[in-house]
Amino acid sequence: MLRLLKVNGDSMAPDLKEGDFVVITTVPFFLNRLKPGNIIVFENKQYGTLIKRIASFDPQSAEAYVEGTQPESLDSRRLGPIHRDAIRGKVIAHFPKNKR
Amino acid sequence: MIYQFLNTLDKKFHFEKAHAHCDIPCGIYDPSAAQIAALTVVRMMDLMSDLDSGEGDNKATYHNSMSRYIDSKEEHAEKAKLEIRIIWGDYFKKDKHPNVDDLVHKIMLLGSKVRQTADRKAGEDFVASINEFAEAFWKTKDIKTKTAKAPYAPALDVVYPDL
Repeated sequence: MLRLLKVNGDSMAPDLKEGDFVVITTVPFFLNRLKPGNIIVFENKQYGTLIKRIASFDPQSAEAYVEGTQPESLDSRRLGPIHRDAIRGKVIAHFPKNKR
Repeated sequence: MIYQFLNTLDKKFHFEKAHAHCDIPCGIYDPSAAQIAALTVVRMMDLMSDLDSGEGDNKATYHNSMSRYIDSKEEHAEKAKLEIRIIWGDYFKKDKHPNVDDLVHKIMLLGSKVRQTADRKAGEDFVASINEFAEAFWKTKDIKTKTAKAPYAPALDVVYPDL
């Protein structure tokens, strides 16, 4: 239902930074209604558990294209579309390491 | 307060990590490595054409030097192509920089040509195309560029960031 994860890496900075905590929901109801701008956690065979922002989501194919905030970020150009089955959760709360 | 609490729990329970990956080394992109490699290609072409043909006792020396120049030309042409591909693939966004694709393709073709031949004009075009790429790269960072002759042979024009 809910999971707590720690962010590792800075490709989502300044929105999410190294060491921040996020809470994700794994409830299918929310994961079937994803939209651009949502931040998701998903699995990738090569890179493991990743956290990125949705650039676009195609409900018909149930595939999301993701991007990071930083230009150097690993994104869907390298990862390809992220299928719904690989998406573990959507970020619903964020606890930053440093208050901004 | 909440963060401190969560961090204390994390030290004990080690929460799962979600990776916000960049390529490693994160954010370190610079076309200068490709520019220097391309200049080296032209330099090797010059050394090849200036080399005495070698007769008699000099024959072995000639072949030794020529093979080393060719080897270096091959290596640096490939290095320039690799450096450009890394910046193109990992840094440039297709939707924001649509014109870069054609330029990179041109660089790849010239990179192959300077390996296959000793055509100095192709070498000069290789350097010029990579300069153009460097200019486009620094522009994305709002950094002005200047063009100056490299202070070493083959002394071709090079685009530098004006920092």
